[in-house]
Amino acid sequence: MSWGAPIWIYLWMAGMAGGGYLAAFVAERFSGESNGRLLRLATYLGIPLAIIGVILLIVDLGTPIWFWHLFTQFKVESPMSMGTWILLIWVILAVVMVMLWWIKLRVGEGLAKMIGQLTSLIGWVNVIFAILLITYTGVLLAVSSQSLWAGTVMLPTLFVASAVSTGVAIVVLAAIAVNSIHNRGVVELQLVLDWLFGTKEWTIPNKWVTRLAEADAIVIVMELAALIGYVIWMAVSTMAGAGEALKQLTVGNAALAVPFWLGVVLLALLIPLFLDIRNRGKAIETRTGWLTIVTSSTCVVLGGLVLRAIMTIGGQL
Amino acid sequence: MAEKAILYDATRCTACRGCQAACKQWNETDEVIPTEENGVEAHNRGSYENPPKLTANTWLRIGFTEVERNGKVDWLFTRHACMHCTEASCEQVCPTGAISHQDGIVIIDQEWCIGCGYCVQACPFHVPHKDEVLGTARKCTLCTTPGLNRLDEGWETACVKTCPTDALIMGDRSTLLAEGKRRVSALKANGYSNAYLYGENELGGLHVLYVLDDSPEVYGLPESPRVAISTSVGQWLSGIITAGVVAALPFWFLFRRKQQMEAKEESTVEGGTR
Repeated sequence: MSWGAPIWIYLWMAGMAGGGYLAAFVAERFSGESNGRLLRLATYLGIPLAIIGVILLIVDLGTPIWFWHLFTQFKVESPMSMGTWILLIWVILAVVMVMLWWIKLRVGEGLAKMIGQLTSLIGWVNVIFAILLITYTGVLLAVSSQSLWAGTVMLPTLFVASAVSTGVAIVVLAAIAVNSIHNRGVVELQLVLDWLFGTKEWTIPNKWVTRLAEADAIVIVMELAALIGYVIWMAVSTMAGAGEALKQLTVGNAALAVPFWLGVVLLALLIPLFLDIRNRGKAIETRTGWLTIVTSSTCVVLGGLVLRAIMTIGGQL
Repeated sequence: MAEKAILYDATRCTACRGCQAACKQWNETDEVIPTEENGVEAHNRGSYENPPKLTANTWLRIGFTEVERNGKVDWLFTRHACMHCTEASCEQVCPTGAISHQDGIVIIDQEWCIGCGYCVQACPFHVPHKDEVLGTARKCTLCTTPGLNRLDEGWETACVKTCPTDALIMGDRSTLLAEGKRRVSALKANGYSNAYLYGENELGGLHVLYVLDDSPEVYGLPESPRVAISTSVGQWLSGIITAGVVAALPFWFLFRRKQQMEAKEESTVEGGTR
């Protein structure tokens, strides 16, 4: 098998990095009362996720020391070449945004305003790269001759929906974590967050966390629709071997049926959806509400990993 | 230089597999042969096929297929190796430009390949394989491997040279196309109505042409192979559109609409108590 665990872990991480950024960005833009903290949290999460993913990718190369050959080409027809540049630009812009946030806190009002506008502009540009990044994780597999990946154009749809869903979930978990650090008064970690955000104001309002979790429920419904669409399209696909490839996932005794039904359908989709629906109207401040959101988001994140794993493995069987 | 090609005539092949041995010998892609001394055991896979599949060190193999035709079982042989496609998926997806065409021959530059494995996934014939020791993708070079280049010497490839029945011949592609068509016509005239010249038009024209006495599918060859990037635009669009919809709808509903509704409710309540 040419593409093993480093690849599917990378696809999952890059998906969460881009998906989380995209979700935080649109949430802040739609909401009139944004203070930029959610986007900062998503960016702080996304940078290490993307960088760890890239390290995994490089380690997985046959000759890792020659990884720089990737940067000698700009091949539009090669999704891997495009992905290399998209990922590089997304990470660089994200790092620049972080640096500008830091600088903004340390300069005078006039300059701070200008930097704020520049950061906002970069934020807009990077949302385009976030979209391209999460799309590329699906396109990379789909532009191939493996039936499970190339049998339809629904794989990028599925991966994008999953990237946003897992991205929101990881941001929700991170928001809950930083709020807990604040509420429980963990001094050492508070100092780290003070330094990262350049201010003591880094908690995410509970109302926002709840809304994000609710939004994820809608994204999960969309992902479920994408999965159903993918399965139906594969079943009727004209590509040779598509039907047989699909059976590797769906038929009871097939190699990947258990992780597909338990790991993707239940863990990534139905269980979190059930939890989110049951949790409607319950405040995150209550123990049940808090526990449900944490459980649901954890299921989404882990289920997203299972989806990448079985798709990557299944395509090469 | 005119484009070179190989013509494989399945009706002449006896599956002696001399081509397999010659390929390994010339290209120095030997594998460990099971012997008592080295302790490597041979396994019966229930087939005369050997090796069972192409690998980074097996660039050519003869496949065996049993088919029932006209009430009797036929044993068919097929050559599996790089087809040297004109529209080569491996070349198109290669992110480093390590794969290129030279006079119709598809070459993986071993000094530039980083072993990302994308060509392995993209090839419609599942030909290139990643060498875990060398760390690069490898496949048939049509005997143009640097230092082992037979074509530069004006020689035929090792597999063609060794073929005892002339099931494999080498020459200019245009000449071989004409020869292939002649043979297919002869087969058709002899009652093989499905006889087919594989490689004439597939993927912009292959540089390994197949004279088959039946349809490609019977021989285990993809009926209408397509380049991996043929669906690229659709794949990118499906992802980008989904990203737009998934990002816009749920977040608009919860962070704009619901927020506005809540604000309205609050103001109504405030208004009521005033």
